[in-house]
Order: sequence, then C-alpha cells, then structure tokens
Amino acid sequence: MTDAVLSAPVATPAPDRERLAAFGFVAPSLLITALVFVLPLALLLGVSVLDPKGGVTSAHYARLLGTPYYLGVIWNSLRLGLLTTLIAFLISYPAAFALARARGPLRSILLATLFLPLAASVIVKAFAWTILLRSDGLINTVLIAAGIIEDPIRMIFTQTALIVGAVNIFLPFMVLPIYAVVAQLDSRYAEAAATLGASPLVVFFRVILPLTLPGIVAGVALVFSLSVSAYVVPTLLIGEKYPTLATTIAKAYLLAREPGFGAAAGVVLLAIAIIVVALSALLSREPK
Amino acid sequence: MSEPAPHLVISAVSKRFGAATVLDRVDLTIRRGELVTLLGPSGCGKTTLLRAIAGLSPPDTGTIALAGRDVTHVPPHWRNVGVVFQSYALFPHLTVAGNVAFGLKVRGAPKADIDRAVQRALALVKLGHLGGRRISALSGGQQQRVALARAIAVEPDVLLFDEALSALDRKLREEMQIELRRLLQDVKATAIFVTHDQDEALTMSDRVAVMNKGRIEQLAAPRELYARPASLFALNFVGLSTRIAGQVVGGQDGMVDVVTPVGRLSARGAFQLGASVIVATRPEQLRLGADHEANSASGRVRSVVFQGSRTLVDVDAGAGASLLAELSGREAEVPRVHDEVRFAWPAAETFAFAAEASP
Repeated sequence: MTDAVLSAPVATPAPDRERLAAFGFVAPSLLITALVFVLPLALLLGVSVLDPKGGVTSAHYARLLGTPYYLGVIWNSLRLGLLTTLIAFLISYPAAFALARARGPLRSILLATLFLPLAASVIVKAFAWTILLRSDGLINTVLIAAGIIEDPIRMIFTQTALIVGAVNIFLPFMVLPIYAVVAQLDSRYAEAAATLGASPLVVFFRVILPLTLPGIVAGVALVFSLSVSAYVVPTLLIGEKYPTLATTIAKAYLLAREPGFGAAAGVVLLAIAIIVVALSALLSREPK
Repeated sequence: MSEPAPHLVISAVSKRFGAATVLDRVDLTIRRGELVTLLGPSGCGKTTLLRAIAGLSPPDTGTIALAGRDVTHVPPHWRNVGVVFQSYALFPHLTVAGNVAFGLKVRGAPKADIDRAVQRALALVKLGHLGGRRISALSGGQQQRVALARAIAVEPDVLLFDEALSALDRKLREEMQIELRRLLQDVKATAIFVTHDQDEALTMSDRVAVMNKGRIEQLAAPRELYARPASLFALNFVGLSTRIAGQVVGGQDGMVDVVTPVGRLSARGAFQLGASVIVATRPEQLRLGADHEANSASGRVRSVVFQGSRTLVDVDAGAGASLLAELSGREAEVPRVHDEVRFAWPAAETFAFAAEASP
C-alpha cells in the first residue's frame, strides 16, 4: 500500500466522531426516558424517605413492614398477582397452541375475541363482571330460572369474583406473548425429538416447554406486574375487605393525605414486581 | 458373495393428502449397510416416503418393515431411526453435546455411556472440541455435522436424510457428499437420502430410486441409471441428453428403426409400427464424423460451451431437432459456432421411449 492511498480522504468518519453522532441521535429519547420514567421514580423514592420536618426517615417503611395489618395487605397483593398469573398461564398456554394451530377465518375470529376486550376500559370490564356476578345478576338469575339453585349464590365481593375478573381482564397479556413464540416454533423440533426416542410427554417437557419459555416469561412478567398492582379490579370486585397495596396507596394519597406512606407502599409494590419479573427472566437464560 | 438379508422392506405403500395421491403403491427393499437415494422433483412423494419410514406420517395402506419388525404404525419414538432434517432442527436451548446426548438421555442410558457415545459421535464428525458450544454459535456446515452426530449417536437401524445437504453452499456440499459417504460406510450405516440434486444422488448412493408422481420409476445403481434409463423421466432427470421425436417404422430383437427429422435412427426398445417415440442418447456418445454402422446426423453448431474438463456442443439439426455432444478436453478438434458438422453415435447407446410419457 502506498502513502498516497493511506493519506487519501476516507469515507468513514473517525470512530470518536461516529460515536458522538450516534449519541446525538439517541439523546432525545434518552432525555424523554429520563423525564418520564427516571425522574418520577426518583421523586417517589425521595418522598418515601423524606421527613416533612426535615431529614431522612424510615418510619413509613417500618410501619409497612412492621404492622401485621400492612403485611396482610402486602400478602393480599402478592396473592392476587400470583393466583391471577398462575391461572392465566394455565388457560393461556393451551390457548396459544390452539390459536397457532387454527387456520383461516377461525384464527382471525379467535384473535379478534382476544384483542377486542383490550379496546374496552378496565372499569367497564370490571363493572360488567359485577353485573354478571351480583345476587340479581345474570348468572344467579339463569341458575334460579333453570331450577339448579333456589337462592342466589353469593359471588360478587368474594375472592373468587376477584380472581375470575382479574384473570379475564389480564388474559390477553399472557396469551399474546406465548402465542407469538408458539407461532414461530418449528414443528421439526418435536419431530426430531420423537425420532430420537422421546415420547410425546418427554418431547413436551424437554423441547416444547423450554423453547416456549421466553413467551411464558414475558407473559408472566406482564400479567404479574399488572395484577399485583391492579387497583380498579379489587376495588370493584371485592372492595374494602381485601385491601391491596394499590388500594392502600390510593387511600394514603386521596384520604389520609400521607404522601410519604403512599410513596413507600409504591416502592414496595415496585420492588415486588421487579423481583418476580427478574426471577422469571432468570429461568429463560440460554445455556452458557 | 452372499446377499445380505433385507433390512428395510416397503411394500405397496400408498398415501393420499385430500384428493392428491402422494405415494402410489411404492415397493422398495433396502439391504443392511446400503446407501439409497430417493431422487425426484418436488411433489414426487420422496419426502412423504421418508416421513413414512420415520413414522412421522404413517401410510394409508401398505406395510413398512425395519430390521425384521413391522413398524408401519409404530410411533417414531419406538422405531430407532435417525433423521437429519433440511433445517437440522437442532435444539437451540441445548449445547452441541446436549443435542447429541438427547437421544440417549431420553432412552435412559447411564451417564458414562452417554458421555462416551457423545464423544465418539462428535469425534466422528470432527467436532470433538465444540461440545460446549451453543448451536447459534456454529456455522451452517458445523450445524449439519452436529445434526448428523445427533442422529448417529443412538445407533439407529436406518439413517434418513431429508435434503440434508441442500442448505450448504456448493463447494461445502460437494466436500460433505464425499465425506459423508465415507463416514456412513465406515460405521456401516444403512441410509436413505432424499434429494432433488442428481449429483448428490450419483455421488452418495449405492442405488438411486428415481421418483415421479408418487411412484418409483427406476431403482438402479448410479452408473446403470445413467447408462440405461428406464423411462423418459429418468433420462431427463439424471444427466443431459439428445432427444429427437420420431415414428417407428420397423424393428426386431429389442431394437427399433425410427424415422426422425434428422434421418433414420436405430434405438433400443420394443414398439409397434407407427408408434410415436422419443429417441435419446447421452452427449458423450456423440463423436465427430460419419459412421455407417452407427446412427448419425448433421447440422450447424449453435453454441460451444467450455466447462474445463469437457466441452458441450449444441447443434441445430433442422426441423426443430437438436443434438447435444460432449467432447472431452483431450479432443484436439472442437468445432466453432456456425460450423457444419456431422456426429455419429452407437445404436446400442440409443434409447426409444414412448412419446406420450413425456413430462
């Protein structure tokens, strides 16, 4: 190579300039992310530990984590999140396979049934469940008319109502990520496993389940973080007797005027969601 | 030499998908240690036959016996077959060694045996050092080898290759063909390849089954398949040829005389007088110059294609007929485009096929 070639102007800019230019392109979105996500979270964290009389305090956290009542509230949220996620998963996993196997108009109809409820507000759907479940509601009326029961069954404001409603409302967030993975799953994997001597059960547990794990993790992360922090669903479907972190936060801000305590409850809720999501993500790591 | 016992016996196997007959009473017997290729265009039924042997798609009627056992309706996991898929279908959530060990693990083999078999299989495909790798970190050629090691590790009664080499680039594919054949002969494997690539079929197999429309048109050793095609389809699918249409005007002793636009030709075949036939021969049979004992025809050279070891000469013989001649690189005299030439070729290497069988 000659000097003339080396000293000739090159089309590619120097690495430093390139990196700077790249940062310039990303900067606006970084700024928006910081303003919309990082700043409020920092404020929340700050408010939860700041004493209005000055200084730093852990009193709000001590009250949350030291009072049996509030530990019960935390457990209520956790229970709502775990049960909803588990039941939604058990329904969604086979549903995602059925959806992926369906062809033509059937598939469109099934997908539409899954998507359309997302267009309706959570409040509308929760109210719809109260209409179905209350003592003079549709289900009781039908059961009485059919002679199956004599007196209305108490369904509304029970934990069953809460879980049924939550599962129904958050179901699409479990089905869709699993469906996305299942639809991409090459049927050759199962065939290869079968020819290698794996029975259908072994094929499922050693091949299908691990390969669809990313979809499951995404669905679990979405549905758990949505249901653990749900506010409208427990408020409308079970009410006062099942206080959750979300309803406690609302009360702290709106009724008790205790922003510090509300912020602390918010941080605890966030921590629970992050821990569960991180744990489920660990499960789907690639080998080595 | 004693004839080995039949190892895989396929009898009158048929399969329909809706209105389409994909396999039409196929018979095929394969001996232990034999390498057989199912060769044909897409839709000829070759993959369906392979899937029937693997148990992935059982036939509607007919039977399949493997290693002396009727397996027609035995599910794949009880068959002891090894399949190498076109897409390889390597498990992305397992390492290279994990993939190769899979078949032995699900059979509940002891860990020490599994480790030994995995090492052996990986060494066989020259990937002994890559056992810990992720599948996504391998090249296409390496993935192909892992798929082969995975199928070999369980010591299957028959190895099935579904277009297994077609995803590789040409040079790698040609190397793999020769290496794979040697490897399979070393481990004395019985193998069936499915391919639409005639070179692969000729290189890899002891026998080739040419398939068309759900039937086996011809089952023969590669050399015989090329030299003695049983049908116009087999002739067209394997190798190049000169084909001229004509009418039978006479014949005896398995030879017919055919009147064609390029003159009167003699060919192997038995047809009634007046039958419409296609007369064909292989390009390397054509020699420059006249020969009164043999078939011959003349025309004007349309193109000359130099391909290294050989030169292909395409001649316009008039009336829509053309001659294709292959001259070896050693031949001094190669005609030029527009030259008037005469070629001769032996009648014994000329075949007549029924014209209506034309695809």
